[in-house]
Amino acid sequence: MTAPLLTVEGLTADRGGRRILDDVSFSAARAGEILGVIGPNGAGKTTLFECVAGLQPVTRGTVAGVARFYMPDAVRPWPDQTVAWTLRLMAKVSGATMEWLPELDLERVARQRVSSLSKGETKRLNVALALLAPQPVLMLDEPFDGLDVRQTRKVMALLRRVQRTLIVSIHQLTDAAKICDRVLLLNEGRVVAAGTPGELGDLEELFLART
Amino acid sequence: MRGRDLVRKELAELSASRAWWLLLIVVGLLTGQAFIGAVRTYAEMSAPAALAQGLSPLDGIVVPTLGAYDLAIMLLFPFVAIRLVANERATGALKIVLQWPVSRGGIVLAKLGALAIAWLISLVPFAIAIGLWAAYGGHLHGAELANVVAGYTLRFLLTAGLSMAAAALLPGAANAAVAVLAFTIGTWALDFVAAGRGGWIQQLATYTPAAVLRSFERGLFRVDVALVLCIVTIATLAVTAIAIDLGAGLRSRSLRIAVVCLVAIVAAVGAANIRTSFDLSENRRSSFAPAESRALAGIAEPLQLTVWLSPEDPRLMDLEANTLLKLRRTMRVHVAYPLAGRTALFDNDERYGTIEYRLGGRQAVNRSTTEAIVLETIFGLARVPVQPPEEARYPGYPLRAQPRGAGVVFYLVWPVCTLAIAWRRLWT
Repeated sequence: MTAPLLTVEGLTADRGGRRILDDVSFSAARAGEILGVIGPNGAGKTTLFECVAGLQPVTRGTVAGVARFYMPDAVRPWPDQTVAWTLRLMAKVSGATMEWLPELDLERVARQRVSSLSKGETKRLNVALALLAPQPVLMLDEPFDGLDVRQTRKVMALLRRVQRTLIVSIHQLTDAAKICDRVLLLNEGRVVAAGTPGELGDLEELFLART
Repeated sequence: MRGRDLVRKELAELSASRAWWLLLIVVGLLTGQAFIGAVRTYAEMSAPAALAQGLSPLDGIVVPTLGAYDLAIMLLFPFVAIRLVANERATGALKIVLQWPVSRGGIVLAKLGALAIAWLISLVPFAIAIGLWAAYGGHLHGAELANVVAGYTLRFLLTAGLSMAAAALLPGAANAAVAVLAFTIGTWALDFVAAGRGGWIQQLATYTPAAVLRSFERGLFRVDVALVLCIVTIATLAVTAIAIDLGAGLRSRSLRIAVVCLVAIVAAVGAANIRTSFDLSENRRSSFAPAESRALAGIAEPLQLTVWLSPEDPRLMDLEANTLLKLRRTMRVHVAYPLAGRTALFDNDERYGTIEYRLGGRQAVNRSTTEAIVLETIFGLARVPVQPPEEARYPGYPLRAQPRGAGVVFYLVWPVCTLAIAWRRLWT
């Protein structure tokens, strides 16, 4: 049995005297696996991602495994540059190709400045930037937030097809049930449920019962 | 990702900033105004034969023209440098960059590299001014010109480092800008307070940006000043790299920053003890005549001076800026300022205005601050024959030229060209 690509054990993080993450453990086992992190607002999803990516200090616990990349939610990186410039920059970092780019419908806005993009366009750009990252494990914060149904389906299909190990935080539980191989339910910084969508049953009911 | 690609990215960010283009236009206009005024004044001073003797293009043209850059470094460049860090923090791009396979040091150095290129671009109006001066038939001395540009460059790098550190440490570009301006004002205050006080405060004040520039502007390259500036700049870069380490806790970052500051202070104090300096001015204004220098260097005992002048007294300022500066470069001198921090206007002390000399157990007192008398007194105490005065070898370079074409270049061509490039970059 091969070692998991990413193992998080006993991750605990405090901010301003408040415990944000409390003894969180999970692993991402194989390439192509999509692990969903769900939970109410303030549950600690973003803090979890930032701690795993090394962008926030950890009070206790370990993160081991391959390199990982985190794409934050609601960022507009380099707003004064064009979409094409931003994508080229990221491609230069990883040396990756962008054959999947047409699926994100970004050609139309390629010459536009990032600051002028709509929320959905920015979200698709951020997904593209994440997919261009060289790290084997990608963590996406709310990748479907702000996308219409058609775009959500397109992005979901693309994320499935690229065969990267993905950890995604999702608010839409129906989306989580559709795309995720496994789901972690986080509440007040603790993992309160974990398993495949089949094992966990109705995610909405689970969410309401455990949070 | 190669360093070159990172620098290119920073340059793209820089050129997307309106502040940068505005800075370029303003620097061109200020340089033009300073240059045109300097050429006219130089021409006026070149007319009377008495004034024309010893007239130096360094004082008359180069330094006044570069004065525009002093303003730009203090008031404009900090905003451009702060933006490079603060913008990435505010938009979240920094979180992406920090996950690239590049060290934090590499990220900071790339930003500094881009700012250094920006500085070189901003020097184009100065280069044009110097080119025009040469075209008018004006004289230039390569070593003193290079020295003064090096001084401004060191000053710029310090400001760039400070601005980036402030932007990395403080939330928001506005806070960082206030911090950098507060630093500048603080150094002015230090300059003012330290004048004629002696001791560590006066020595510290010789490293304020304004004092550093004064030293370079008189053609003096002080190794200690250059080293202290480099050390402080490197420290600010290290602080920036630590401050953007988002994965480290506040305590860990604070501790590392404290260590950097401590190491920088120790290194700077060590560098401040280096007395080596090079007088690169063509008229050797920071040096005594060669025979006098040799005679002074041959005196083994240290010279003790007690200067009974208040800090505001112009005689003390003159003594400090000329004779004492040269003496300190030539022999061991300890100066005491008993009236430091006092106006001494109401003291009615008979000693006011006197300078007491002690050398090898012998003493002398007089009231003169002129170089010839000071040297005569020292040679008398040291029992060294007074050196005969030498003929001044610096001929001076008077030039009665008018700033032909400068107005068109700086007030029309430069802003129009800069605006056209900015328009293409920002709005098309």
